[in-house]
Amino acid sequence: MASTVFRSLQSFPFCLHPTTLFRRKNGIFYCTIKGKHSQTATQEKQTSNVKVSSHPAIKTLDKILKDYEAIIGIETHVQLSTLTKAFCNCPYNYGSPPNTSVCPVCMGLPGALPVLNSKVIDSAIKVGLALNCKLSLNSKFDRKQYFYPDLPKGYQISQFDIPIATGGFIDLDLPVEFGGGHRRFGITRVHMEEDAGKLLHSDSGSYSQVDLNRAGVPLLEIVSEPDMRNGIEAAEYAAELQRLVRYLGVGNGNMQEGSLRCDVNISIRPIGQSQFGTKVEIKNLNSFSSVSRAIDFEISRQVQLHSQGQGDQIVQETRLWEEGAQKTVTMRKKEGLADYRYFPEPDLPGVILTDEYVKDIHNSLPELPEIKRRRYEKMGLSMQDVLFLANDINVAKYFDATIAKGADVKLAANWIMGDIAAYMKNEKLTIDEIKLTPQELAELIASIKAGTISGKIGKEILFELLAKGGTVKGIIEEKDLVQIIDPAEIEKMVDKVLLDNPKQLEQYRGGKTKLQGYFAGQVMKASKGKANPGLLNKILLEKLNAKSS
Amino acid sequence: MGGRALILVKGLPLPKHHIFTDFSCNSSSAKLLRLRRNNNSWGRRNFSTWATNGSSLEPPDVPRLAETARISLAPHEVEEFAPKIRQVIDWFGQLQAVDLQSVEPAIRADTQGDNFRDDVPETFENREAIIAAVPNYEEPYVKVPKILNKE
Ligand SMILES: [Zn+2]
Repeated sequence: MASTVFRSLQSFPFCLHPTTLFRRKNGIFYCTIKGKHSQTATQEKQTSNVKVSSHPAIKTLDKILKDYEAIIGIETHVQLSTLTKAFCNCPYNYGSPPNTSVCPVCMGLPGALPVLNSKVIDSAIKVGLALNCKLSLNSKFDRKQYFYPDLPKGYQISQFDIPIATGGFIDLDLPVEFGGGHRRFGITRVHMEEDAGKLLHSDSGSYSQVDLNRAGVPLLEIVSEPDMRNGIEAAEYAAELQRLVRYLGVGNGNMQEGSLRCDVNISIRPIGQSQFGTKVEIKNLNSFSSVSRAIDFEISRQVQLHSQGQGDQIVQETRLWEEGAQKTVTMRKKEGLADYRYFPEPDLPGVILTDEYVKDIHNSLPELPEIKRRRYEKMGLSMQDVLFLANDINVAKYFDATIAKGADVKLAANWIMGDIAAYMKNEKLTIDEIKLTPQELAELIASIKAGTISGKIGKEILFELLAKGGTVKGIIEEKDLVQIIDPAEIEKMVDKVLLDNPKQLEQYRGGKTKLQGYFAGQVMKASKGKANPGLLNKILLEKLNAKSS
Repeated sequence: MGGRALILVKGLPLPKHHIFTDFSCNSSSAKLLRLRRNNNSWGRRNFSTWATNGSSLEPPDVPRLAETARISLAPHEVEEFAPKIRQVIDWFGQLQAVDLQSVEPAIRADTQGDNFRDDVPETFENREAIIAAVPNYEEPYVKVPKILNKE
């Protein structure tokens, strides 16, 4: 079971709430990936969390952790969703049969020459601009040499000393559950490169297998400044990058498929010390929660070593995050800097951009997540609503389309975040797949607001529209659902219910006033749910009390 | 410093060498790769990342160069190549001495730009020939020796 280090992590003080770990399991990152954690897992976590916080040794570590500061930087590889690879026409589709999408260029055969896919440049410029970077109008590709079986050419085409974009930043909002707050993290550089193939290890372990479909697929490597201080900030940084590439339409950002890969660098230092500690790299982080938990684990591990005078045991190395054991383990120690012997790629010309080209792309950029969040905030939505709606570009588009049809902002947000989100979750649908159009949602909200239908009927109509489509007006007419707001008509129904329930009426008048709810239910039932609830209650109460005196 | 090993590869007759340390190299694909190296235009290009430590460049560490290029050299070969490589490096030393104070650094020597391709997929029609040239293939994967955590 868990070591002391792991258990101490669970009450990690850098997190703003003691329930952090528990909450995190419930998909707090607003990430659009499907949550895999079952309710049972959540329960378990909660229990162990409670148990551990009362452990005396942990309290000491909590105290020690407060004396340290963690320095975290992230290298992210974003796979671009181009139709073809970076330097050849091979199509790339995730999940294709192994080694089917290969050609002389991506296999590194003699005489084959790479030609850059223009979409790669477009995507790099989009991401560079969206990250507020300075673009290099004149850059180039370089060869990074190393020998590995997933790299047929013996080198990777990458960008070394002149990346396409440098010196930017990204803005994000931390989830309300973690205390909220706005953060700006620096972006050191963005460069273009090609992916390697996929290496699989056979079960017997006596040999490895290579699938070269992925070899040559375009990537952007985004390097952050070491600006993050804890696991939550790092995970949110990664989530914001995912959001950004999805908004821009340059990648699917899917972590499970490896379309978004994060390598994290962590060092710690006693607060007040200006010199950095030894940097440790963590790989194999394939979800936002593993980014967060791996970092918090690693900080804890390093602080413990340092505080016990074993700081020399923190060595420059690459560690792997083991999801099952919830800990990091040594993958390899770094023996000095690898010598990649970079030099300019002779088979490719320089990458020259004109101001005009960049300007065109700049003008074509969509509204980015940060701008959208600020706009939603100005419309009066709570941060919780803002984060939910802006998280997924398709949800944001749906919301924008609904309010463009004149729907009340807060009501539209409530419907989308409430019943519609619940329906999507139950039916495992995305917002693009539901049959309710933004137009009809706006119509529904307006019909309730105008009193044409009750809120209860509104909900029924909503579920019908979600499942079958159609129009609000059509369903109201077809099912005769218009709300009854004629007092005389409601009065008639009340009279009939009172007449039909003499025993209950007697009890009510004898003091059992709780029965009002029973009568209201009966009248509502008689009206087939169409009676205006306010009017109904008003008339019912008058009648119930009138004859008792 | 980057680039030295290239000179070794480009400028000299190639001794027996291994493409991947862990691969057996007696197949046709290895020959293709060797061919590629000879055909390549490496030496002619302008290396902007070249070291600039004045006129006296360090003498070559031949065994290390051979290792980074995955080339096996016998001790007598190391002895034989060292002065030859030294000659080439000295030639670069002469280039370093040229006064470039007033010259704008070039990123690429042959920059024309706009040499892009549209993002239109095309399946390579002779995949079988490529797969047939793979030294060790076991449908549907390329089979390689077990990979340890080593770069
Ligand atoms: Zn290809």
